Amino acid sequence: MITDLSKRNLELAFHRAARGNLVRDPSDACNISPTQEGPHFGQMAGEVLLITISSFAFRLLTIFHVANTPAARAYYSEDAADRPVSEFFAEVANLCCGAFNRELAQSFSHLAMSIPYTLSSRCMAFLGELRPQFLSSYGITINDSVQMQATLCMHCSAPVEVMVSAARPDDNSGALELF
Amino acid sequence: MDPNTQDSSAPSAGTIDLLRKAEELAQEAAGLKTLAVAFERWHQDMIDTMAQNRDMSANGEDLISIAQQLIMVSLNAAIEAAHAGDSTRGFVVIAAEVKSLAKRAQALSRDISKNIDKGNLTSTATFQDIQAGGKMMMAAISTLEFKVKQLRQGIE
Repeated sequence: MITDLSKRNLELAFHRAARGNLVRDPSDACNISPTQEGPHFGQMAGEVLLITISSFAFRLLTIFHVANTPAARAYYSEDAADRPVSEFFAEVANLCCGAFNRELAQSFSHLAMSIPYTLSSRCMAFLGELRPQFLSSYGITINDSVQMQATLCMHCSAPVEVMVSAARPDDNSGALELF
Repeated sequence: MDPNTQDSSAPSAGTIDLLRKAEELAQEAAGLKTLAVAFERWHQDMIDTMAQNRDMSANGEDLISIAQQLIMVSLNAAIEAAHAGDSTRGFVVIAAEVKSLAKRAQALSRDISKNIDKGNLTSTATFQDIQAGGKMMMAAISTLEFKVKQLRQGIE
């Protein structure tokens, strides 16, 4: 249903969207590396944030888990560092997935994105129930201090070919994705 | 004007037919837009379902907690009964039975909790898929409407 090339392109599109939108300042360092052992949300406390991008041929969940550390709170919610990072991260994740959506729109004319939703990280032990044809996790570190995990979980109901351009398609990076 | 002479500015029968078909297409597209009402209904139903799921998750966690406390209570009861001697032998048996029931309740509530987590994930994925799918279809219908409008303008 999804070729190896498409999987690589999907990763490339997500990494570009993440690097461009998970940071608060473009000069901030954002390191993304695959998590070899796959998703391990079960070992993490707290909640995960899910956003789905759908087309007629597939459903793609992007799942974020941000460690609720003082560094993460200070980074994403500097004016209210005493509040959990999840309160502020939904908007950041929404921007990231909006950029991801625009990357994928190069390959699919009909595409749309859900609103973010939070779930207990315990639920992630059951990702296999979604019958993913592509499941990949990444450890993301910003400025060597803020840590999160992101997972792509894609179920295809028809053959899917993902193409991405060499350059980022979004001139309007950072524009709010309406929902 | 000679009734046998055609007015060159009047649309031909073919053009009139095309315009009529374009009008029908426009009406179909406008009718499809009412799908938004159905999407809104599904959206609201799913929000209600997700709220129920959250309540069930909380209930499941309460059940696990109660079962754990029951095990502790039965252990204490067994210890106290053992200290009391032969006269409370019957109570020891009851305490052991309560402990056994509490362990079964604990295992069951853990299973329920896992099923709730599984259900939460699958229903959230479905909810988001429907939500995104609805937006995708509304955008497709708007594109269709725009193209029909262009077609009508082209014919006219």
